[in-house]
Amino acid sequence: MKIEITNLHFTYPTGLEALKGISLTIESGEQVAIVGQNGAGKTTLVRHFNGLLQPASGSVLIGDWDTKKTSVAKLASRVGYVFQNPDEQLFSRDVLTEVAFGPRNLGYSKEKIDELVKRALSLTELSNQTETNPYDLSPTWRKMVALASIIAMDTPIVIFDEPTTGQDAVNVARIANVIAELRKEGKTVITITHDIDFCAENFERVIALFKGQVLLDGSAREVLGQEEVLAQTYVDPPQLTRLGKRLGLKETVRNQEEFLKALES
Amino acid sequence: MHERLSFHIKRDSLIHRLNPLTKLALVLALVVVAFTAPWYWTPHILLLLAIIPLSMLGRVFPEFFKTATRLILPAATFLFLMQAFFQPIGEDVIFKFYFLDITQESLMFAFRNAMRVFVMVSTFTLFLLTTHPSELMSDLTRRGLPGQFAYVIISTLQILPQMQAKAQTIIAAQRSRGLDTESTFLKRAGSVLPLVGPLVFGSLVEVEERAIAIEARGFTSKHAKTSLHEIPDLASDKFIRWVLLALVILSIAANLWLS
Repeated sequence: MKIEITNLHFTYPTGLEALKGISLTIESGEQVAIVGQNGAGKTTLVRHFNGLLQPASGSVLIGDWDTKKTSVAKLASRVGYVFQNPDEQLFSRDVLTEVAFGPRNLGYSKEKIDELVKRALSLTELSNQTETNPYDLSPTWRKMVALASIIAMDTPIVIFDEPTTGQDAVNVARIANVIAELRKEGKTVITITHDIDFCAENFERVIALFKGQVLLDGSAREVLGQEEVLAQTYVDPPQLTRLGKRLGLKETVRNQEEFLKALES
Repeated sequence: MHERLSFHIKRDSLIHRLNPLTKLALVLALVVVAFTAPWYWTPHILLLLAIIPLSMLGRVFPEFFKTATRLILPAATFLFLMQAFFQPIGEDVIFKFYFLDITQESLMFAFRNAMRVFVMVSTFTLFLLTTHPSELMSDLTRRGLPGQFAYVIISTLQILPQMQAKAQTIIAAQRSRGLDTESTFLKRAGSVLPLVGPLVFGSLVEVEERAIAIEARGFTSKHAKTSLHEIPDLASDKFIRWVLLALVILSIAANLWLS
């Protein structure tokens, strides 16, 4: 499902102008990472995608729905949003009920709910934890429950707000795996992240925001190659990318594989 | 991000620079004098010649005026009407409303009482506008107020806005999961649990973390504590407090003497 943002402006009641004219198109099935310093407007931007925030001017279209004319509850059937802190959304007694909460709200049939929940639990490796109370799980696994509870809603667009913050390498790999699976299913994945390695390894398109405007927008290779521009919004390209630059490699490299390949040639 | 729940306005003025205890003494003295001085016009004069000039001296007059007219005035007016109607004193009826009589005496009585209350609430408002709550609490703790007491006051002021912000995020998170919080009453009633659950649980966790954090800094330690912020207590502060005490004693004495 296509997302079309036209000249989006947003100002918080405190007078803070968070978005200053953003225009973007995100095609169906794209994997997009949004980076930028704190306060650049990343969360403010994605909160417009499911109507939690309404544009002061400009518009956001999710497929053929204008977010101004559609309720958040309805938009939830197209845009799933995983919040940063799982504790702000988990409330059920057990993992199964928690994960089924979203799809049930969307009014799917019982069979479909069962199937979606099962798939979400297996993707997040929670299949044998269905009876557990989410609060008995470690924060790492609570995060996975939060992920599962949104994936189970089977929305064509999924947003992750800083999914890897405070996670160890094993769990970062698990989250990367979830994103890869969603991509195979043709879903659009939009992720806010400060973890630039995670961004380089898992996303094709990178959007860098700076003070409420789009600073850079393009393929990960293009964007991460522009070290000086990214520095404006306090984003450092991955160490390997920078090392490649210093070594004078012709192409911008994003991961070990590309680095070694470029080194050989 | 989170604002404290307080009226305090950060400005630099003579009043702001006074020691918090001096300001507290000022408030209490004004209130006691307004209530005990035997002269009828005392509260009115205090308001015009002390409280309003002090609010100007403290550079908070616009805010003071706003609070006074929007908050205190309606309450004082209500009090005035109730007392004027229901105070069964005096003979000289000047106005009749069904079975309710208004006499000159009840009118005078009500006016003075309303003014006393007005003086009381407005001096406290002035105090809150010019004093940061944590400054007051650290000064009082230094003078021997139990730390636990100060903690209860300060943490309440802090937690309420934080819980409010947290509730907003939780509502946003659940709406993103298709929870309908906007339509019919029945639907909304059913959506209480997903909102209250995380809020209560999260707040309990926060209370525990807060307790651990302050204990890690030696909250219950018996040793004398130093303070990061030196709150000045000048000779002039002490002088003002003695003068205020004298005023209070004079006022009470006058009350006993003349009545």
